[in-house]
Amino acid sequence: MTIAAEANPTRARALSNRWTRPALGLIVPVAAALAWEFIVRMGWASGRLAPPPSVIFATFVDLARSGDLQRNTLVTLTRVAAGFGIGVATATVLGAAAGYSPLVRRLLDPSLQALRAIPSIAWVPLFILWLGIFEASKVTLIAVGVFFPVYLGLMGAIQSVDRKLVEVGRAFRLSDIGMVRRILLPAVLPAYVIALRSGLGLGWMFVVAAELMGASEGLGYLLIDGQQLGKPAEIVTAIVAFAIVGKSTDWLIALAAAPFLRWEDVVRQE
Amino acid sequence: MLVLDRVGKTYANGVHALGGVSLTVALGEIVAVIGGSGCGKSTLLRAIGGLDAPSAGAILLDGERVTAPHEKIGIIFQEPRLLPWLKVADNVGFGLGERPKRERAQRVAAALERVGLADKAAMWPRELSGGQAQRVAIARALVPRPEVLLLDEPFSALDAFTRADLQDHLLDLWADAKPTLLLVTHDVEEAIVLADRIMVMRPRPGRIFDEIAVELPRPRDRQSAAFDFAKRRVLTALDRSLDRSLDRATTGATDEPKAEAGAALWW
Repeated sequence: MTIAAEANPTRARALSNRWTRPALGLIVPVAAALAWEFIVRMGWASGRLAPPPSVIFATFVDLARSGDLQRNTLVTLTRVAAGFGIGVATATVLGAAAGYSPLVRRLLDPSLQALRAIPSIAWVPLFILWLGIFEASKVTLIAVGVFFPVYLGLMGAIQSVDRKLVEVGRAFRLSDIGMVRRILLPAVLPAYVIALRSGLGLGWMFVVAAELMGASEGLGYLLIDGQQLGKPAEIVTAIVAFAIVGKSTDWLIALAAAPFLRWEDVVRQE
Repeated sequence: MLVLDRVGKTYANGVHALGGVSLTVALGEIVAVIGGSGCGKSTLLRAIGGLDAPSAGAILLDGERVTAPHEKIGIIFQEPRLLPWLKVADNVGFGLGERPKRERAQRVAAALERVGLADKAAMWPRELSGGQAQRVAIARALVPRPEVLLLDEPFSALDAFTRADLQDHLLDLWADAKPTLLLVTHDVEEAIVLADRIMVMRPRPGRIFDEIAVELPRPRDRQSAAFDFAKRRVLTALDRSLDRSLDRATTGATDEPKAEAGAALWW
């Protein structure tokens, strides 16, 4: 224990927690990776189907250097962005309408709930028949995946807005637009951001499904390519790329929403 | 002047909450409405606030019929009901929407200063104590300078010390512009500390049972004999307002006997 830590034990503990806690979580995967690397190096296993970390890293660097990784990531990212955009736009309009107006809810919600019960992948053959095997069917599938969590989240959030706060708006004679802008929108925002994030998660899931089913480029194509040519390192590289891009986009939404959600009364972790 | 003309309310489910309440409140007067639970006192207040439309009778403010929330009528609820996404200052200025920014800032700052929370302007509502939050709610209601201020059991969720403190504080604030105060409460002391007149209501359907004028000079000493005497008068009236035999004598209705035991425990 250092002198500084003794002088200010709580601060030292907070500081050490900040670094040791994530580090603690790294021990298991890093140890496993090192062990596998060691086993393959010693020749105890061939590592042909499960490449060691060094091979994966080399493949990652190769693919990045040739530009294949960036190109395919960009293609996938574009598909997710398009599908997410369409899905969110539709879900926001319908979810807001269904949450705000009981009539719209009674009219639309039963049908949408029925559609929701269908596993979205089941639509793929139909989408391909209708929209062809290129971008349109893929984007539509992603949009369908994104739609439901956003729709449900927004509708639920609007319905559960505190009636007492709405009454404050009425007492101060807000117009309908004022009510939406000054009461409903801010009240709904936290749940909406969560809905967007789970929608995005599903978007990434569905882009994989769409690309596995037939694509000539994209991270999903790298997966299939790696499988067909027996290049497991390429598959793992694509998986790692999915993880990085998926997490980054999720983080971007959280980051963009943070300034608007600072008021939330949540238990923050030290 | 606020005039209630035989205001009645029957809810859609058939509950007869209010049975023809007539009352005239002069500008600057403080009137407390007191009664057991279910006597329709909150219903009455919400009708005056324009939040629920009465099903009979009329509410007139300076001769103008009130059917929706009125700009000259402010309301303070039992809970502070601050908007959690607005800083304290923005909450106070909530009712000043369409005014120029500078005037808004000035009036908000003055109001916060007046309720003693000038240093809390940049805080979030969640960082306030219960009493502070209710003071912000009072400031928010007073900032648009209402002619009538309605208070729906505004201090009932607070501890006794904070409550007494806020009652005195409310009187201070009232003295600034002397709006009409109409206060619903189930706290006899609160009614006597604040009001010029106390209307005792009786339930099923809610109507005015008795009117007690409180002619004690302000500030009122909660320990004085006169205060105690007024308290006993109100309590007696309240007891009688819940006496079921009166109902039978006046209307001939037969009520369920189990309610009699509950009547003594109305608080």
